[in-house]
Amino acid sequence: MSYQTLLDAVIKGDIKTATEETLKAVDAGQNAQDILDQGLIEAMNVVGGKFSKGAIFVPQMLRSAKTMQECVEVLKPHFQENAMTTKGKIVLGTVKGDLHDIGKNLVGMMLEGAGFSIIDLGVDVAPEVFVDKIKEAKADVLGMSALLSTTMPSMSLTIKALADSGLRDTVKVIIGGAPVTRKYAQDIGADSYAPDAGSAVLEAQKLLNKT
Amino acid sequence: MESGSIPTFQPRLKVLNHRQALAIHTAALEILEKTGIKMEHNESLDMLAGAGGRVFDKDWIRLPAYLAEEAIRSAPRQIALYDQLGNKTMPMVDENPFYGTGSDTTFTLDLETGERRRCILADTANFAKLVDGLENISFAMSMGNPEDVSKVDYIYVYAFAEMVKNTNKPIVFIADRSEDIAKIYDIACLVAGGEDQLRQKPFLLNYSEAISPLRFPAHVMDRLIFCARKGIPICLPSGSNAGGGAPVTLAGAMAMGIAENLVGLIVHQLVAKGAPFLFGPNVSALDMKSAVVSYGCPEWSLTQGALADMRDEIYGLPIWSFAGASDSKVVDAQAGAEAMFSIITAMLSRCNLIHDNGYLEYGSTSSLEMVTIANELVAMARFFIKGIPVNETTLALDALERVKNAGPQAFFLMDDHTFENFEQALFLPKLLDRSRYDSWEADGSKDLYTRSNEEAKRILSEHQVTPKDDGVLKEIDDLLKAL
Ligand code: B12
Repeated sequence: MSYQTLLDAVIKGDIKTATEETLKAVDAGQNAQDILDQGLIEAMNVVGGKFSKGAIFVPQMLRSAKTMQECVEVLKPHFQENAMTTKGKIVLGTVKGDLHDIGKNLVGMMLEGAGFSIIDLGVDVAPEVFVDKIKEAKADVLGMSALLSTTMPSMSLTIKALADSGLRDTVKVIIGGAPVTRKYAQDIGADSYAPDAGSAVLEAQKLLNKT
Repeated sequence: MESGSIPTFQPRLKVLNHRQALAIHTAALEILEKTGIKMEHNESLDMLAGAGGRVFDKDWIRLPAYLAEEAIRSAPRQIALYDQLGNKTMPMVDENPFYGTGSDTTFTLDLETGERRRCILADTANFAKLVDGLENISFAMSMGNPEDVSKVDYIYVYAFAEMVKNTNKPIVFIADRSEDIAKIYDIACLVAGGEDQLRQKPFLLNYSEAISPLRFPAHVMDRLIFCARKGIPICLPSGSNAGGGAPVTLAGAMAMGIAENLVGLIVHQLVAKGAPFLFGPNVSALDMKSAVVSYGCPEWSLTQGALADMRDEIYGLPIWSFAGASDSKVVDAQAGAEAMFSIITAMLSRCNLIHDNGYLEYGSTSSLEMVTIANELVAMARFFIKGIPVNETTLALDALERVKNAGPQAFFLMDDHTFENFEQALFLPKLLDRSRYDSWEADGSKDLYTRSNEEAKRILSEHQVTPKDDGVLKEIDDLLKAL
């Protein structure tokens, strides 16, 4: 079955048509995972491509991401035993002492749009809180945001805390935020760094080898 | 006719009419009354509840409009900042604009190599010294988030001490919490010669921020209350940038930012009626392609022009604003264009305390060259708003008569009227180049970046900052060592 109408609706951010199309596909007996992968995520790949070329603006991209989320809500009950396969589980948060969250929220939306599932711990997140959540959720990736040079050291402390609790090898760490640099990421032993939300998606895909 | 009897109109920008101003103000009050705010500081929450606020969900509280109106009335109309030698250099009242640098950038452009690198304490020292030597830059901020401090918890104390050592101009400072602001206050008292002297002639102002949307963390309120009690002037803008921290439409972003500011003002005045509070949110815009909060956009200039109108129509309190900054990564034509746009509009709106002059890369990078350029652009803008005095001298009919009568070779350039008036009548640039092509070429074909680099270097090597008393310096160093 072709998902073209669904694809177009997600790309346009037409929530009504997109959710109707999703339901139609389900009713026609399509596999929920296929609708997700070949319809919704595929549409978001197109959107991401347009955005990185500067062909569309942030609010248009976020509208598509929101459209996708609404469709996922429609799909959820149709996965066998709730076994929706995402591209990976990402724990995200702004580090301790830091209250900036606009960039982190944007990164979260983009990652979700690309098919990752996101657990957002909010702002001012202490290392042990990250560690506990990663353990509990069996996360694949940890994403940390810092907008202050004074809170960047907390990223390093969190990576140490991961090592101390024996979890470091189970999770990839990606960091970002205006004062953060690739070099800093290397220095503190993070696996990756991204300067903006668009490249955060590409980096996360690379980390989990899911392009 | 007596010369000077015609009042001179001074060019002035108007952005809002009275009804627009009132409507934004009313919307801000409605936000406080209906939406409410999240006050995470217990003492402040109790104070607000005691004064008539209604707590509705743990630490969310709604505030009646009269609390804001009362606070606006009790806050002082003038905030006068003094320099560290005790002169009243920044009387912020009504229409007086003062330009200065900005705070925490991550990187700076190295003066020798031009390379963008992490800021260190010596940069904060250099920026302060440069400010001291530039006539149109009235106050200093740290301009960097230094990498090389011994205790990161006290980064703002080190930065403050560095500024005190390198300038005598007023200082706008950042602090993180009760502990470090108390240390900064101690240093300020050492400089001023005691608590009373500092209260009498404050040379510093704290820049704190609430968290848009509508969130007031405990450590921010601790600072606000500390300043209110000590009489240290403070501003509390929030990050109500259009599209990111606030609604994308400028009226809505302003209403929200003003509401947040009013919360700060209310608590501040409940703690200490009459304590000095500099009004105004930061209403910039989130760029819809890069998702960067812009420091070079026309929106920020427009909203602060609007705020200046609201000051005149409603608040009567001096306002906080920005200028002389850019999103460009280098000191180029974009940097110059954006810097001038905000400098001239802030001047035309008569904003009062105008920070961030010298910022590049949306506030991530600072540049000594940019500050030096801003100094010249401010001079240009100041010249512009003086307007055109119209009187017997400036109409100069007698000069015309003389030149006409003096024969065919006569020209104005050699008339006495020119000699006597040219320095007031014309703008005389120092850094902007108007030389003939050949002499410009002979002088090395230098662009503005190169010339401002040389000028910054010259000031840093030649300018003498009036030194502080050795005893005071030693006490400051002892305080730093004991951190
Ligand atoms: C808005 C803002 C605020 C708002 C934040 C509101 C909110 N809810 O987030 C408020 C007003 C609260 C605020 C407060 C402060 N701020 Co502030 N703030 C900014 C500002 C103007 C924009 C930040 C922003 O939202 N950008 C938009 C988003 C979309 O971009 P972004 O955050 O950079 O995120 C992108 C990338 O960095 C990346 N990314 C981000 N996170 C992550 C995570 C991962 C995993 C990945 C891969 C990528 C990634 O992708 C994002 C999307 O593209 C910046 C200056 C600037 N222009 O950047 C200063 C700035 C960050 N703030 C600064 C400072 C100093 C402060 C204060 C200390 C000021 C004070 N006097 O109190 C306080 C600190 C509060 C605290 N404890 O956290 C400094 C930091 C300097 C430094 N090197 O430390 C800056 C640079 C301004 C400056 N030059 O002075 N601030």
